[in-house]
Parts: sequence; structure tokens; C-alpha cells
Amino acid sequence: MPRVTIARNILAANEEIAADVRRRLAAAGVRCINLMSGPGAGKTTLLERSVARLRGQLAVGVIEGDIETSLDAERIEAAGAQVVQINTRGACHLEAHMVRDALETLNLQRLDLLFIENIGNLVCPAAWDLGEDLRAVVVSTTEGDEKPAKYPQIFAAAQVLVLNKMDLLPYVDYDPERVCTQALAVNPGLQIFALSCRSGEGLDAWCDWLLAFTSKRSVTTARETPYIMGGAGS
Amino acid sequence: MHELSLAQSIIEAVEARAEECGVERVRAVHLRVGEASGVLVDALQFAFEMLASLSPTLTGARLTIEITPHRAWCEPCARTFTVMDFVARCPTCGTWSTRILSGTELQILDMEVGADGEQGSQE
Ligand SMILES: Nc1nc2c(ncn2[C@@H]2O[C@H](COP(=O)(O)OP(=O)(O)OP(=O)(O)O)[C@@H](O)[C@H]2O)c(=O)[nH]1
Ligand SMILES: [Mg+2]
Ligand SMILES: [Zn+2]
Ligand SMILES: [Zn+2]
Repeated sequence: MPRVTIARNILAANEEIAADVRRRLAAAGVRCINLMSGPGAGKTTLLERSVARLRGQLAVGVIEGDIETSLDAERIEAAGAQVVQINTRGACHLEAHMVRDALETLNLQRLDLLFIENIGNLVCPAAWDLGEDLRAVVVSTTEGDEKPAKYPQIFAAAQVLVLNKMDLLPYVDYDPERVCTQALAVNPGLQIFALSCRSGEGLDAWCDWLLAFTSKRSVTTARETPYIMGGAGS
Repeated sequence: MHELSLAQSIIEAVEARAEECGVERVRAVHLRVGEASGVLVDALQFAFEMLASLSPTLTGARLTIEITPHRAWCEPCARTFTVMDFVARCPTCGTWSTRILSGTELQILDMEVGADGEQGSQE
């Protein structure tokens, strides 16, 4: 039976849109971070704290991905950032076309740094390129210290790891060293921050790093990791 | 969990290619999927069959999936090795590799085509 070549990445359509998002952000001089974690690790809280601390130094925008509700977007808006809510109505991760549409309602000329809060899910969000410059994963002390070993793909695909809720360390069986060892085994280049959004411990270092990241125009791009779908050998 | 949307993308790409080439019937679609891509092969098969049955071009088409191993290149040893649990560390010398050779692909390779009335091949 005759064969016809297709030779196309299954996610080629997503990647084309992601490339378009990346071009538009770069043209407007906006740096973009895709923030990922399991449900409730503290992504929104970290964004609230970051926005508040960086006020007057960086213009921060947020694209809030949630399956339902605009609760998180309301929290971010109250903290003083431009925000757009995306509701995926059940979908387990954000895709590039959702981000492209969200860009329409943001004033990019007014922004320095754009966060995309992905859906709370450690399994698949990392696999979808959204056009970001960098991916950060948040884990917290209340969710067990085996996450990098159990969900290696998302840690392999990120450049930054945030250990949140360090204030709760005395009350939980959680070994931060263990988490770091596991995460560095799948991704030796990970940059790690340990902090508490509640006590504020570690937030200065995180915000200093955000300032440096935003002022740099050519840090390693997120696209270079093979662990977004179809990355290597395609 | 998102295998349905992957299957949808495959069907769209195949239909577009079929139209481009004037193909009426697609009998089989061949994929190459990396073992570290996170794709659930059974779920993808199931979703593909379901969506293919709704497409005039793809009704009854088979999906074959070639799984590639997760492998990396060790520069000091000048050889490839198998990556276990995403830890791309050479089992011989302990060096971490940054060159992943395979295992993350999500490729649509090609399709088998035939006119109406022809039987699909039984591999
Ligand atoms: N003790 C403590 N609680 C925290 C900290 N950071 C966040 N929380 C709490 O953790 C809960 C979840 O925080 P969110 O910021 O909503 O988490 P999220 O990752 O945005 O959650 P989803 O968007 O639902 O996935 C809230 O009750 C926060 O107040 C922290 O550093 N310490
Ligand atoms: Mg949230
Ligand atoms: Zn998903
Ligand atoms: Zn070696």
C-alpha cells in the first residue's frame, strides 16, 4: 500500500503559536515566566507577594490559568498587577493559543515582566510550550518530599525551582535537601529558591533574581530543553 | 488525560496532508513517540480510533506507534546510554549529559493510503 510522508510534530500547531507569542513578547521587551506547580503549592500567593514587593521597580502582568473561577485573578488584581483570567473548563494544562488570545487584553508596552500561572498540575503543563522565556516549578513543604522523583518531567523541563511554605517546616515531615537532590538529579542546572510567602523569608532573594532576570535580555530560553513535547529528535 | 487533544491534532494533520495529496482514504498512520514524552499510548490509541471513526478520510484507519527509548550521549565516554527515570547521568563515568538523543519525540511519520474498496494491510 502506498505511503505518504507527513513528518510533522504532533504539537507543531502549538509550537507555531508559541513562537509567535515569543516574538511578540520579545518585540515589546517583555520577559515571560511560566509558573507551574501541583494544586495549592502557592503560585498565586507567590505572585501576590512578588507583585507587591516589586511595585515601583517592575511592571508585572499575570495571565491566570484556572480550570474554573476568577478567584486567583481577583487576588492578583488586588495586589496591583494587570491580569487576564483564562478558564480552561476542564483542560489540565494551558496551551499557546490561550496565551496568544490573552495577550490581546494586556497592554504589553506597559509591562516588564509577564507571569503565566499554569493549571495546578504536576503532570503535563511542562510539555506545552507557551512562548515563555523561562519555566519555574513551585513545590511546598505540605505536599511530600518525593515530588521530583515522582514527576521528573516537569522538573527536567524547568529552569527554576521554588520551595515554598518553609515556615511550616517544623510541623511536617519534609526534607528540603532530599527534594533538591532529586530535582538536581533530573536537572543539574536548576536554580533553587527556598522561601515562605507567609513569613517573607527568602522573598528578597527571589525578587532580586526577578529584577536581574527581567533586565537581562538573553538568558537561556525555555525552548532549549528537550522536555517539552517533541523537543529532541524532531 | 490530554490524549484526546493529541489525537485531534494527529487527525487534523493527517486530513490536511491527505487533502494536499488528493488522498481519499487513509488506511494507517504511523507515529514515533518517545518513552519520556509522557504520552499514554493506550489512551492515545483509544482516542484516535474514536475520532478516526468520525472522519470520512480516516474511518477504520489503524494507528501504529513506534516507541523510542530515552537515550543520551556521554561526551567523555563517547557513547550513548539509557536514561533511567529522567536522570541523564552516564552509568559508566557519572557525567551528566545535556544531549538527549531520543525519547521525547511526538512525530507523525507517514500514512498508508488506498482508494475505496482496497483492504488495509494487516501488519
Ligand atoms: N503557611 C503557608 N501557607 C502558604 C504559603 N504560601 C501559600 N500558602 C497558602 O497555601 C494555600 C494555597 O495557595 P495558593 O497561592 O492559592 O496556591 P496555588 O498554587 O495558586 O493554587 P491553585 O491555583 O489552586 O493550584 C493558601 O491557603 C495560601 O495562603 C506559605 O509560604 N506558607
Ligand atoms: Mg492559583
Ligand atoms: Zn494536560
Ligand atoms: Zn560516561
